[in-house]
This record gives sequence, structure tokens and C-alpha cells, in this order.
Amino acid sequence: MCDVMIEVRDLRKSFGSNEILKGINMTVKKGEKVVIIGPSGSGKSTFLRCLNFLEIPTSGTVRIDGHYFVKPNEKLNEKHVAALRTEIGMVFQRFNLFPTMTALENVMAAQMKIRKKSKEAARETAEKYLRKVGLAERMNYYPSQLSGGQQQRVAIARALAMEPKAMLFDEATSALDPELVGEVLNVIRELAEEGMTMVLVTHEMKFAKEVGDRIIFMDGGVIVEEGHPKEFFHHPKEERTKAFIKKVEH
Amino acid sequence: MNLLEKLDFPTAFRELSPILIQGLGIVLGATLCGFFLALLLGTLIALGRISKVVLLDRMLIILLEIVRGTPLLVQLVYMYYVVPLLITIVGQLWDPSFRFTLSPFTAGVIGLGINYGCYLSEVIRSAITSVDKGQFEAALALGYTNRQAMWLIVIPQAVRIALPTFGNYIIMMIKDTSLLAFITVSELLLRTQAYASQTFLTIESYTLLALAYLVLSLPLAQIVRIMERRLTRHV
Ligand SMILES: Nc1ncnc2c1ncn2[C@@H]1O[C@H](COP(=O)(O)OP(=O)(O)OP(=O)(O)O)[C@@H](O)[C@H]1O
Ligand SMILES: [Mg+2]
Repeated sequence: MCDVMIEVRDLRKSFGSNEILKGINMTVKKGEKVVIIGPSGSGKSTFLRCLNFLEIPTSGTVRIDGHYFVKPNEKLNEKHVAALRTEIGMVFQRFNLFPTMTALENVMAAQMKIRKKSKEAARETAEKYLRKVGLAERMNYYPSQLSGGQQQRVAIARALAMEPKAMLFDEATSALDPELVGEVLNVIRELAEEGMTMVLVTHEMKFAKEVGDRIIFMDGGVIVEEGHPKEFFHHPKEERTKAFIKKVEH
Repeated sequence: MNLLEKLDFPTAFRELSPILIQGLGIVLGATLCGFFLALLLGTLIALGRISKVVLLDRMLIILLEIVRGTPLLVQLVYMYYVVPLLITIVGQLWDPSFRFTLSPFTAGVIGLGINYGCYLSEVIRSAITSVDKGQFEAALALGYTNRQAMWLIVIPQAVRIALPTFGNYIIMMIKDTSLLAFITVSELLLRTQAYASQTFLTIESYTLLALAYLVLSLPLAQIVRIMERRLTRHV
């Protein structure tokens, strides 16, 4: 078995004539935590969404644990894309819990529908992950009855319950009140310690330093610089990186 | 002759009530079938328009303009008297002995279904587009296919948003079934007319008719209000 989980080759993405991603290469090893930072509008979200094909790249390839979303020169097969997406959990800035389902039902639904688990098995798994994110007591609450931090933790449990090979976080704490950020970061941190492969987009630099094995700095649709957090934050090489670090640290 | 002295509500009530109750089946049957057809058509039209296929969208817009620009009564008359003739003409191109007819009830249900389907399609379309795009994406990210995400996640939420409006349309349709009298469906209005012209109990008959519609629609309106409150609780 190879030890590469995510491999991106020459990824480009345009909206109309507007090229947002201009040729990105990235390899994420199994168990590695990669943090993507960069100014607003630099294409971080677009890149992350390309990793599970929520955005379909204009060109280039994405491979997850050796499987292509679309093999070079082949046509997109919706079923295959959906199956591969199941292997990658995604956590959104705005939680996106299903409002008509309780926390428990949110975590159970896809297990039954997509993983074809029995109701009992799905429930057991759901309870396990809700307990893990500290919400065992709230599992029969509807999203509208939960705080933002609690909703985001349910969203993380929902993704984990699919037992994905990797997790993507797109600014998972940006929509939260400051006092609720910590509880979500704690869950993500714990996940990182357990060895989950993760790609995170975040504005929390302290957190990035702490959990990241590698920092990637994006600007203008390209990777400007990447490196080990210590190296990256204390000895940035590129001018653009220096300017960005200076700005976010003040 | 003093009209007031001749008023005879007890007789009218005794004689007309059973007649109206028989007509009730037709009213409810037409509403049920008509609304089901309208929902089906409305959903298909809405999905067709959301699909962003330009030609399809144009054609559907033309259909909507025609239906919304003509009175329901005219559509019903057209469906009963004209459409079968048109189909007969086309059919006779192959088989000269071909003849096509629609029963008044069937023509009425189809007419109501198409008319309401067009109006409902706008309700359904706006309900679907008002569901946060993030819901669809969250479902995709979990491994749902586009179709599964649409039918299992987005549409159930859209239905919740649209359900109270559907309720109001059902009440409107119940009242609109009175137009079926013009294409000889023996619903409440036609029955009342027949009774009134036999007995000359004009005031009594039509007052009872109006009451009958109220008895049908008021409780339904109440149900819609309760539904509205319950469904929007977690949205
Ligand atoms: N669906 C779309 N259609 C057109 N343009 C888009 C679309 N999605 C993103 N863009 C554009 O792509 C650019 C990059 O957006 P993206 O959301 O990836 O940036 P980002 O780095 O995540 O920014 P932020 O830090 O503000 O979240 C922006 O200019 C945005 O307007
Ligand atoms: Mg973003």
C-alpha cells in the first residue's frame, strides 16, 4: 500500500473566463495534517472543494488513496464520484446540518442511505461519535435548538460517522462566536492526535501552528510557499508570505 | 306576495342537504384527483425550469403564460368541448372511425390539474430555490448522488416550506370545483340550481349552498394555520 492519501496534479479551475486555481500540485500523506492559509479570495475554498469534487476542476487530476475521481481521458461518472466523496468527510463554515432532522438523525441518515447500514448499527455508530464530540446529551435536539459550536460538532460527528479516510475543514470556526471556537477546535485537535488525515483551511494561525504538519500559503490561485509550521512562520522565504504573516499576526 | 313569509329554510334544509351530501363526493373526488395531478405537473414543471435547459425553460414559460392569461372557466370549457375534438381530428388522420371523448368529470380534473399545476410550479420552484445551497452540498459531500440529494434532502425541506401554501390552494380548488357545473358535472352548484328551479326556494337553496362551502373550507383553513406553525418550528 502506498502511503499517499491525497494527490493533486496540475489542478486548474476557472469560473467562466476567470481562472481561480492556476495549476496546483499537492500531496498529502496518510495521517498528515495540512493547513492552508492565504488572503480572502485566493482560492482556498475552491481548492478544498475540488478535493471532493464539489467543484469540478477544469483540468488536472485528484486522487484519493490511489483512486481517481475521473481518470485522465475518461468521462465523469456521477456514481463513482459520489462513492469516492463518501471516503472524504467535509466540514463547512456554515455547518449545513439538515434542519428537519435531530442531531442523531443527522448523523444516522447517510450511514443508512449511503453505507447501507441497518438502523441499529447506524444508531450505535452515531451515538459513539456524538459522545466523542461531547454531545451525547443533546442527540435528540434539532439543529435550531443547538448553539453554533454544538451544531458544528454535530456536523463533525456526521462526517466521522461515515468513517472517512480523510477530513476537509473549510474555516470550521469562522461562523462561530469567539467563545464557542474553542470547543470545536478541541474536537479537531483530538481528531488530529488520533492520526486522521486532514486538510484544513483556517484563519486561526495559532491553531494552524499547533496542529499542522505542514502549512501551505496560497495567493492568487497558486501555492506561494509551503513548509513545516516553525520554519514557515519564523523564516518565510517569499515576500508575499512575509507580508501576509505580518498582517495576520497583528 | 311577501317573500319573507314564504321563506322555508327547514324544508330546504331537509330536502337539499342529502342532495348536497351526494355532491360532496364529487367535489372532494375532483379536488383530490385534481390536486394530485397539479402536484405532479407542478413538480415536473418546477424541476424542468430549475434544470436550466434553455429550450425547455422557454416552452414551459409559454405554457405558464397561456394558462395564467386565460380564465379557469374558459380552460375547463376548452378541455371538455374542444380538446376531445382536436384529438379526434388528429386520430382520424390514421383511422377515419376514430372518436375521442372525455367524461365531464375527467375533463374537469385534467383542467383543474393543469391550471393549478402551473400556479403550484411557481410555489414549488421558489420553495426549492429557497432551500440553502449548503444543504445540497452537505448531502453530496456525504456521498449522496445529485438525485438522492435533491429528493431526500432538498425536496423534503421545500415541501415543508410550501405545504401551508398548498393547503391554501386546496381550499381554493374546492371552491373552484363549482365551475365544473358549467361542463355538466353534477357537483354542488348544479344540484342546487336544479333543486331551486323545481321548488322556487331560491334564497334558501343558495344560502345553504354557500354555507356548505363554508363548512368545507373553514376547518381546512384552520388546519392549514396549525400546520404552518408546526412545520416551521425547526426550519
Ligand atoms: N461558483 C463561483 N462562481 C464564480 N466565481 C466564484 C465561484 N466560487 C468562487 N468564485 C470566485 O473565486 C475566487 C476564490 O474564491 P474562494 O472562495 O475559493 O476564496 P477563499 O480563498 O476561500 O476566500 P475566503 O478566505 O474569503 O473564504 C473568488 O474571487 C470568488 O469570487
Ligand atoms: Mg473560503
